[in-house]
Amino acid sequence: MKVVSAILNDVGGLALFVKDVFQTGFRTEKNVKPILDQIVDVTTRSFTTVAFAGVFVGAILVLQFSLILAKYDAQTFLGGLNTSAVVREVGPLIISFLLAGKVGAFTAAELGTMRVTEQIDAIECLGTNPIQYLILPRFIGIVASSLILLMMSLMISILGSMMVASVTYGIYPEQFLGSIPRFVSFGTLAAGMFKSAVYGIIVAGVACYKGYTASGGARGVGRAVTQAAILTNLYIVIANFLTGQFLDVLSALSKGNAG
Amino acid sequence: MGITLSGVGKKFDRWIFRSLNLSVADGESVVIIGPSGQGKSVLLKMIAGLLPCDEGQIQVPAHHLGMLFQKNALFDSLTVRENLTFPLRERLGIRGEKAEALSKEMLSAVGLSGSENLYPDEISGGMQKRLGIARALIVDPEILIFDEPTAGLDPITSKKIADLIRSLKAKKKLTSVTVTNDVHRAYQLGDRIFLLSQGRLLGGLSPEQTQKTEIPEIRQFILGLKQGPLTEATVESGGPE
Repeated sequence: MKVVSAILNDVGGLALFVKDVFQTGFRTEKNVKPILDQIVDVTTRSFTTVAFAGVFVGAILVLQFSLILAKYDAQTFLGGLNTSAVVREVGPLIISFLLAGKVGAFTAAELGTMRVTEQIDAIECLGTNPIQYLILPRFIGIVASSLILLMMSLMISILGSMMVASVTYGIYPEQFLGSIPRFVSFGTLAAGMFKSAVYGIIVAGVACYKGYTASGGARGVGRAVTQAAILTNLYIVIANFLTGQFLDVLSALSKGNAG
Repeated sequence: MGITLSGVGKKFDRWIFRSLNLSVADGESVVIIGPSGQGKSVLLKMIAGLLPCDEGQIQVPAHHLGMLFQKNALFDSLTVRENLTFPLRERLGIRGEKAEALSKEMLSAVGLSGSENLYPDEISGGMQKRLGIARALIVDPEILIFDEPTAGLDPITSKKIADLIRSLKAKKKLTSVTVTNDVHRAYQLGDRIFLLSQGRLLGGLSPEQTQKTEIPEIRQFILGLKQGPLTEATVESGGPE
């Protein structure tokens, strides 16, 4: 019972914190430069990792799909299936996991250290809203970067999987690319972007919340970082299921209306 | 601008203190001493508006309040100069050359000229304290709050810092509340000295009266006696500071 209460307490605290961040974002004048700085910082810091992951995720999917498609002599569909899986599912998931490990942990540690060394109190004491000054740029930076990184990793993943498909299975790049429009529509891209945005909000929200509410010196910061990493991944998996269901319902409704 | 505390209380797992009353007159310096774990720093944070009251109310008429934190709370990703231009920009909207000139003047006043481009972790503990004082003062506050301003410093640096606080405060005729465990600095900095123990504020006497007082808790604390009303449990309870 205690565990359930602790989890509900944590989720409630996180929800209120994210609400506070959104309200601050709408209420106060936008700090454009720090937000842009954060977007550039998070994107450049994570790009190499995401690029590597993109290439290999694409390659792995090629190997898996081609085994199945070969049974039906349908390897010409490889590019489309592969890209659709990356855009809808694997891309947003992998990017958010990587962001959670890299940027999320860094943000939780940075904010946690600022909290336990009373730097956040000092900012507040100077009459500045720490949510606006510290959290908002990081929050928007992580969410915007996850969308940018999805697009980047998608392109890299297509290139990587196209190369692997060409070298391993002799599928021409034109064949590979030609099948993409059959499987990937604007709706597929929108679904991927939607998932990425949701996961980005989770990464940013949990990391900022855990760091911002850290207490108890170095041990407290360590605890905040660990909790941020574990909870982010857990919430992303849950959100993956929920967003999947939501998008399926949306898709069924739109088909129903079209019919 | 004065400060008034009316029936103030704070609760974490238990009540740290309740029904505290205190009036600090305009331009007055009040020092609060007392054993660790009695909530002295908590009380300061409540006066600074960083923690809410769980009962009673605190009236601090001025929004221009400067605070020196126990561990300085300097912005470690900013240089010494930027630690001063940040509050100027954020609090007073002063930027550019004017901010640079004001920060230079303040650094000179606290004896930190030449350290402008260093980071807080590149300067000594005494210099960090000076920078913390400079940051509290640069926003031209009417009220100053000092949390253990000389903690962790050697006696000579400690006296220098206390002298610096006294001279800067006298120059600007500021109201201040200071928390310290250093009795000598309390005598040096306070117009009135209180002891916070077991949820009560005792004393409120001048430094001279404090040294001669017969109030048993204060007497035990300033003389460092083992026996007395401040039991070991009280002294070493280690609650939130």
